[in-house]
Amino acid sequence: MAARKRSRRWRWIRLSVQILLLVLFLYLLIGNRVGASTFLPGDLFFLLDPLTGLSAMLAAKRFIVPMLLGLLTIGLTLVLGRAWCSWVCPLGTLLEWTSLRRRYRNAPGRLSHWRHVKYLTLAAVLLGALLGTLSLLILDPITILFRTLASGLIPGANWLVTHGETYLYRFEPFRGFLDGFDRFIRGTLLPAAEPYFIPSLMLIAVFIGILALNAIRPRFWCRYVCPLGGLLGLVSRVSLLRRTVDPEKCNACRRCARECPVNAIDSDKAYASDPAECTLCLKCVEDCPTRAIAVRTQTQPARPEQEGLTRRQVLGSFGIMLAGVALLRLAPLLRGSDQRRLRPPGSSEDDMMKKCLRCGVCINICPTRALHPSGTGADYDGVWTPMVVPRLGYCDYMCTRCGEACPTGAIPELSLPEKQQTVIGKAEIDENRCIPWAQNVNCIVCQEMCPLAEKAIELEDVTVPNSQGLETVVRRPVVVRERCTGCGLCENKCPVPGEAAIRVHPDHGEGQQRRRGHSQ
Amino acid sequence: MDTIDRRQFIDRMLALGGTALATAAFLSLTGCSKEPTAEPVADNSTPMPPPPPPPGDAAYLAVARGESPTTLVQRSITALGGIERFVKPGNNVIIKPNICVGYRTSEYAATTNPEVVGALVALCLGAGAKRVRVMDYPFGGTADQAYSNSGIKEAVLAAGGEMEVMTKMKFQDTTIPNGKSITSCSAYRDIVDADVLIDVPIAKHHGGAVLTLGMKNLLGVVSNPGSYHTADMAERVTDLNSLVRPHLTVVDAVRILMNNGPTGGNLNDVKQVNAVIASHDVVAADSYAATLFGKTALDVPIVRAGARRGLGTMDLSSIKIEEIAV
Repeated sequence: MAARKRSRRWRWIRLSVQILLLVLFLYLLIGNRVGASTFLPGDLFFLLDPLTGLSAMLAAKRFIVPMLLGLLTIGLTLVLGRAWCSWVCPLGTLLEWTSLRRRYRNAPGRLSHWRHVKYLTLAAVLLGALLGTLSLLILDPITILFRTLASGLIPGANWLVTHGETYLYRFEPFRGFLDGFDRFIRGTLLPAAEPYFIPSLMLIAVFIGILALNAIRPRFWCRYVCPLGGLLGLVSRVSLLRRTVDPEKCNACRRCARECPVNAIDSDKAYASDPAECTLCLKCVEDCPTRAIAVRTQTQPARPEQEGLTRRQVLGSFGIMLAGVALLRLAPLLRGSDQRRLRPPGSSEDDMMKKCLRCGVCINICPTRALHPSGTGADYDGVWTPMVVPRLGYCDYMCTRCGEACPTGAIPELSLPEKQQTVIGKAEIDENRCIPWAQNVNCIVCQEMCPLAEKAIELEDVTVPNSQGLETVVRRPVVVRERCTGCGLCENKCPVPGEAAIRVHPDHGEGQQRRRGHSQ
Repeated sequence: MDTIDRRQFIDRMLALGGTALATAAFLSLTGCSKEPTAEPVADNSTPMPPPPPPPGDAAYLAVARGESPTTLVQRSITALGGIERFVKPGNNVIIKPNICVGYRTSEYAATTNPEVVGALVALCLGAGAKRVRVMDYPFGGTADQAYSNSGIKEAVLAAGGEMEVMTKMKFQDTTIPNGKSITSCSAYRDIVDADVLIDVPIAKHHGGAVLTLGMKNLLGVVSNPGSYHTADMAERVTDLNSLVRPHLTVVDAVRILMNNGPTGGNLNDVKQVNAVIASHDVVAADSYAATLFGKTALDVPIVRAGARRGLGTMDLSSIKIEEIAV
């Protein structure tokens, strides 16, 4: 009796730690967006994640000091093995909770060759990083969960809440309650500005796909695909604490092997477990009827318990990876064919490829919804990096938050005066669509919106014949290219339906050259 | 494979149909962000009832000039018969200043003077108002930032009022019975329903509207002010004013923006006038404010349209104006 009572302890401790860290993850995601002073850095999980850190440093070919925090996780893994996956990783927690564990019983050897896949994804991520693209970090579990929540699930929840509220607000009896509820929830759990992002649906679809893999095997993603799991699995081979089975006590009941959430225990090898797979959840330790299982310090590095790859397989997969990465790096050649991609203030296309983790912290934090995750344009290697979409949101004149929030400096930290002079792009008027230009009818919205003290849009009075053939004066907007910083407020507010008649296009630096020419 | 009998089939189809119907109903009921009709509709608008004459010997319009914005507000309202003429005990009051952007402090005369707003909040609470809320729908920057940077938040909270961030759920489809260019709009429910609405524009130059004053300031009441800035702006703003009629208009002319409006950004464009204009008639108040720019109401299409359609009078010679020097 006493033994059973004691044996539940670890399970509850682990569950509490998981819940606590998942709540912390959500708290940092929301707190960072609100701008509240969270007691920990808003990008804490990205800093702790050794895969994002290692890749970012490989790609940038320099140390990124805050990201050395990932060494803490490596250190813990050296002691505890792959405990991250069952104790810390918020995606791992969600995948564990959504696994239909009762429906599946482990059978030895099944799908075991799939375990190599995660090492291949890891190698591909690192090889890509070495060759200068972090595109494959979209497979990192922390970025997956952050991106899906911030740009997919929260906007969806917001839509439901807002439309429910709007409907109920027609009815007098609900108003008092809704007023209080709305004040409480806006700017806290839900963003103050209505969030909507171009690839929301795609993000959610990918996430559902990852959850659906649980139907094949519990925690399929963690077992077979996750590159971070692969990295920590490699480190775990030399970890200090490892699971041991006392052959004296073991009665070969198979329970541990059958119920291991990650199928790490091999009944054919005296119920030994592969340290690269064991996530130290301690379920077997607690469940063992004869208490034969313990976690003890070991000094010998573990031999890989699973079958290794043949040399041919290794070379073959390396070839495939190289081809994949090469294909990915063809993308820059296609970039010119893409219509336009505006980057957050101060960051270059090169920064985006080499430094951006695709984490979505900047997108989450942008108060005016200027930043959106890029879809797959022609240059597919930029997928889910942030881009400014002025038609949906503009870069606020008084805001520097994306640069402050970026974990890697892919968006530089700029002071407000610096940001206000940083060119995102240049606005250009489409004279075929602009109302005063095309229809000789006054409209001054873009000029009115321009936030610069010396406006980058001026109105020129032109005498033209109107529809009755009489001479009238029409005020036409004209962009003063030297002044424009491309904040996109004009494009955002342009009343022409559909595509705006004034649009911001990438600058390519000629504006700055011209400015330099002026000062000489 | 599972089989189902007829009854189960019918049950399932009914459940499916019911769900689809409920979803469709929900979607159609919540589809509430329609643009105003783009085509001008036939002018079947009837002239609006004019504002009632002021009681007793109260002034129709009061102009106070002097150093302290708070005193200017108090004295001009007193000349109109006191705040009690507009605000009754227990009233729900909404004050609508111009807080158009989050990147200008009040010196730039792009946003209403905070002291003017604060003084009005204090007056309303003094008259026994139950709740005094101040709000606007900025087009540049977030509402919180605009409320703070304009200095209005601080002044309102100090006076005991509330700042409300205008929230999406309260923008509701509303028909405009007297509409000429637009017949419906997405208007802020609480403002439409308020017992007392006080319109507190700052007098500014405007690139498209010539001047932005009390009538145009009410564009902050709809969720899509951008689509009013077209060739038909004067009629559209008048349509909106026929739906949302302020009970009191107080034009802040302490500092006025002479050029590069409505957002300004250059102190050379700002002129210190040290005046406050108050009237229950928004057209009259706007008409007077136009004179501060060396113009008349005839130069401002919105004010002209408002007068033509009966919202108020722009003829300053026909009304009782009280000029107060403080």
